[in-house]
Amino acid sequence: MTPFEEELKQALKREDPGADFTARVLARCVREDERRERGFWRMSWLTPAWRVGAVAAGLLVLAGGTAVEQHQHQVKGMAAKRQLLLAMRIAGTKLQQVQERVKESEQVEQ
Amino acid sequence: MLAASSSIATTTAGQSALPAFAVVVETHKAMVYSIAWQFLHDRVAADELAQDVFLQLHKNWARIESPAHLLFWLRKVATHRAIDAARKRQARAETSLEETDEPTVLERVHDAFLASYLKRMVASLPEKQRSVIVLRYQEEMELDEIAKVLGMNVSTVKTQISRALELLRGKVSRRLGRENANDTV
Repeated sequence: MTPFEEELKQALKREDPGADFTARVLARCVREDERRERGFWRMSWLTPAWRVGAVAAGLLVLAGGTAVEQHQHQVKGMAAKRQLLLAMRIAGTKLQQVQERVKESEQVEQ
Repeated sequence: MLAASSSIATTTAGQSALPAFAVVVETHKAMVYSIAWQFLHDRVAADELAQDVFLQLHKNWARIESPAHLLFWLRKVATHRAIDAARKRQARAETSLEETDEPTVLERVHDAFLASYLKRMVASLPEKQRSVIVLRYQEEMELDEIAKVLGMNVSTVKTQISRALELLRGKVSRRLGRENANDTV
């Protein structure tokens, strides 16, 4: 190493950031650990009352969804029933007409 | 260093790593802070950057395999973060050596003054040259180690060091020449 490089080495000696540096880093690490540990359920705004409310709201949505589904099922069933009755009525009328024609043709033959 | 190294090796899953981590911070704080300082020349910014590096280390603690890996990791992260920060700040890193102002007061360029002057000159070097000079003369790293940290070839590292030294020598010689001329007047 040349004398100039030695001078450079002396000039670039490490400097200390201060006595409390480690304490400050550790404090930040602890804060960071705590922040990470607090999951969704441990967020400060989510108090026990809020948690109960959130669960209740979830159940309501689920129940509401089931009720709507049942209602839609009923509506479909009623519509199918109406269609079946209409079809039977039409079929009955047609059958009656055929019977009348058969009777008429028998009378003509006699 | 030995205490820190054995702490890393013995820290197992589920066991708090904070005491071992504290030893590592205490051992390496000067290195990380000084790397940051060489790029930022701002105590508050260098302190903050050094803290960020250790916070990142804390997050990646489980991945550190050995003391050598720890040292490599710290130097690499500190250097890259410092380069990024210096770029963002558009600090002296972007000022060319020739554009750097000479000291305004008449100061004799030797001993403490030379050190101070050299620091200023290193701070004014282009980014790559400054990185290799800091790692070579502050951290006393070998050329191949510098190459690994900076992701360069060894030959590139050599070239950058040689160019940086040439620039610095020229600048200091000119400065000394002017000082001598002023003395004789």
